[in-house]
Amino acid sequence: MADPARIKTESNSEQSLAAGESPKTEDTEEVPVTSADTESKDTSSQSIIHENKQDSVAEDEGTACHPASKKLKVEPEKKKDRRQKVDEDEIQKMQVLVSSFSEEQLNRYEMYRRSAFPKAAIKRLIQSITGSSVSQNVVIAMSGISKVFAGEIVEEALDVCEKWGDMPPLQPKHMREAVRRLKSREQIPNIKHNNILFH
Amino acid sequence: MVEEEDEAVYDEDLDDGAGGADGSHGKRKKLFSKELRCMMYGFGDDQNPYTESVDILEDLVIEFVTEMTHTAMSIGRQGRVQVEDIVFLIRKDPRKFARVKDLLTMNEELKRARKAFDEANYGS
Repeated sequence: MADPARIKTESNSEQSLAAGESPKTEDTEEVPVTSADTESKDTSSQSIIHENKQDSVAEDEGTACHPASKKLKVEPEKKKDRRQKVDEDEIQKMQVLVSSFSEEQLNRYEMYRRSAFPKAAIKRLIQSITGSSVSQNVVIAMSGISKVFAGEIVEEALDVCEKWGDMPPLQPKHMREAVRRLKSREQIPNIKHNNILFH
Repeated sequence: MVEEEDEAVYDEDLDDGAGGADGSHGKRKKLFSKELRCMMYGFGDDQNPYTESVDILEDLVIEFVTEMTHTAMSIGRQGRVQVEDIVFLIRKDPRKFARVKDLLTMNEELKRARKAFDEANYGS
């Protein structure tokens, strides 16, 4: 199974899949904001989004890395072209991969892309902790990070499950061992533990 | 599908009666059961994950969100949670950082596209 959270490919594969799957997908209830909207828009706006994304990402990188000097302006352009080429390759590879999925793999991939935490519940949870209202971007960011977090735990638990010679479905002991491992790698935040170096 | 849901609820009641998967959180209503089941299947688990595992994962996610919120409140502008604080906290984790950047960028583009679409409609 393809690694779902590979950094560079994810954003671009979502773009390509949004472009490729728009005719089939109608159900937008459980879909997260981004893919729901890209799937329901026309192809023209999708191609605009695709190009804008490439441009904005490249622009940000270019102006952030290089001071304004004519000699160095050539490099951002080359980087931008190279990155666009890499993005397009990634998109193509993803399309080839998805087109060769079996029925079960397609189901799983659809669940992977479409599942998301309900924005209302996350917003309620955050607001119950802060006591004041939070912006929509905060809710979007928090739901996204939480999904990645859940994915990390499930992946680690599947590793544990395989290592111990068990079969899925995952059992609580796998989950707990996964949490223990992630904690030792500091991938799970823990503000309750105080590092007192000298007593 | 309905029967499966009833069974799952029955199991949860039993668990809570016996002390629950994690006693420290008492009897909070399950917020993400349905979504987490789909998510676990998507990430590689069985099509019907165990209810106990879903409960553990829900507790972990809620604890994660709580810790992030508390830390975000203590940095930057105190008492408020802002996107910049979240991005700052996540900076060391490449996966989450990239994901947040992508989500926010795409959200901006979608807002722009929707605005342009609406203006085009309004014009015609």
